[in-house]
Amino acid sequence: MLLAIETSCDDTCAAVLDGARILSNVISSQAAAHEGFGGVVPEVAARHHLELATPVVEAALAEAGVTLDEIEAVAATAGPGLIGALLVGISTAKGIAAARRLPFVPVDHLQGHVAANFLEPEPLEPPFLCLIASGGHTMLAGVRDHEGYELLGQTLDDAAGEAFDKSARLLGLGYPGGPPIQREAEGGDPEAFEMPVAMTRNPGLDFSFSGLKTAVLYRCRELGPEGVQERRADLAASFQAAVVGQLTAKLKRALKKGDWGAVALGGGVAANGPLREAVGVLCEEMGVRLKLVPIALCTDNAAMIGSAARYAEPIAYPDYLGYDAFASGETSAAVPH
Amino acid sequence: MGLSPQGRPRHATGLLAEVEAAVGAAGGWEAVDLIAVGLGPGTFTGLRVGIATARGLGASRGLPVRGVCTLDALAAGIGEAGDSSVPYPSQATKRNSRMVLPVLDGWRGEVFAALYAPGGERIWEPAVYRPEELAAQIAGLEAPPSVAGSGAVRFRHELARDGVPIPDDSDPVHRVAARHVCALAAVAGEEADGLAPIYLRPPDAERWRERDASQRAK
Ligand SMILES: [Zn+2]
Repeated sequence: MLLAIETSCDDTCAAVLDGARILSNVISSQAAAHEGFGGVVPEVAARHHLELATPVVEAALAEAGVTLDEIEAVAATAGPGLIGALLVGISTAKGIAAARRLPFVPVDHLQGHVAANFLEPEPLEPPFLCLIASGGHTMLAGVRDHEGYELLGQTLDDAAGEAFDKSARLLGLGYPGGPPIQREAEGGDPEAFEMPVAMTRNPGLDFSFSGLKTAVLYRCRELGPEGVQERRADLAASFQAAVVGQLTAKLKRALKKGDWGAVALGGGVAANGPLREAVGVLCEEMGVRLKLVPIALCTDNAAMIGSAARYAEPIAYPDYLGYDAFASGETSAAVPH
Repeated sequence: MGLSPQGRPRHATGLLAEVEAAVGAAGGWEAVDLIAVGLGPGTFTGLRVGIATARGLGASRGLPVRGVCTLDALAAGIGEAGDSSVPYPSQATKRNSRMVLPVLDGWRGEVFAALYAPGGERIWEPAVYRPEELAAQIAGLEAPPSVAGSGAVRFRHELARDGVPIPDDSDPVHRVAARHVCALAAVAGEEADGLAPIYLRPPDAERWRERDASQRAK
């Protein structure tokens, strides 16, 4: 059995896996702590992780009904992410592993999102295309085996979830921005405002969302505070349609380029209803299978880190005592091939 | 056994190996019945690496983990060294007769300090000071205290006034020793402070938010 810890952003997570089976998957969200800032504050996140890490691990063990005596390895997200946040999870994991001479498994966070699809029930076998969109990352991964992925496209500026958060802030909606924008958009006209569906003329598979956020900013300025209030639903719907449009356009292009039998979605933005629907329509049109993992496995969680750890290289005691985290923008030997 | 999470985030890479070496020297984990950890003040990341590691080890071995204020540990070392470390014997009175002022480098041109009576009780709670601010506080004391620590070394020029003696930079009294963290934890008892880090500073973003709010209020 495997214990996994994930603390790369603003959720403190621990899980226990028995093979591909999830015995527990505990997530303690800090979203409320960051709400007043309109985004994740690294130092605030790290402080919360420290308070929550050990209790969350203990809750995961208790919920799984196992003790540490049954755990054979300890995994943790090594990066990319917020360095102070990652270090809390890694230090906790290394401490637990070292005192029991257990192996430690550092895991790449994005490989974790991919590996969420290997979990039971109904694990998805490679090859498949995986679209991962969250507040921290937006990428299109070609998955041909369990150990890694090919990076087919990624955002050149903001992440898709970041665009949701920033636009929600402009529209006077809460943080995180995804759920309130989706709710607000339900009563709006997605064609009311013209938004740039960026990068569709660009032949590659990369994404860009900063122009979209700027477009929302300009519409808000033109409308003024009262106008924004009046047209909020239309603005939210137009913005959301543009994000969904860009993500599905690139997905369609990738499907045409390769021989992919299935599509999987991951990341917090994959919880967005209209995106799920649009990708569903696309998959039907293209004749490929769509795999939607439960939302609790889309957003950051430790079960996906445990799933990736099953195929990663474990480090035996004592070789990991000096193992360090790698932050966003840094690379490490643990980066997938 | 104790962990003293002083200093930079590189402790993420060095700490656990030192712990394992210390545990090995003590005869293995079976010989350990309490884990002690320095709670700070110190670097935010360094404190968290130390405390998270200690809690991980504690959970793994089923051992209690007890936190100790890092300034308390430094003060214990200064008190133990007594006046033997004071470079001016003419001013030295008998051991432990002075008040003790541990001063840690707090970066950003500031220091962390607390004042202790000769018997060890705290007189000033841990706080952040600008060096000249602390010097003025020291000047208001009846007699110069024993001053040491990384902050005393860095701000020797500002603090070593009015006959306040500060030992040579190379003197070990300036360093926090894990054995003092252990000794204090061993006598602290169950009602010890818990394991909350002693940050002494809010996250920067919170300061900005407060500033923004006060500007909006104007
Ligand atoms: Zn993620």
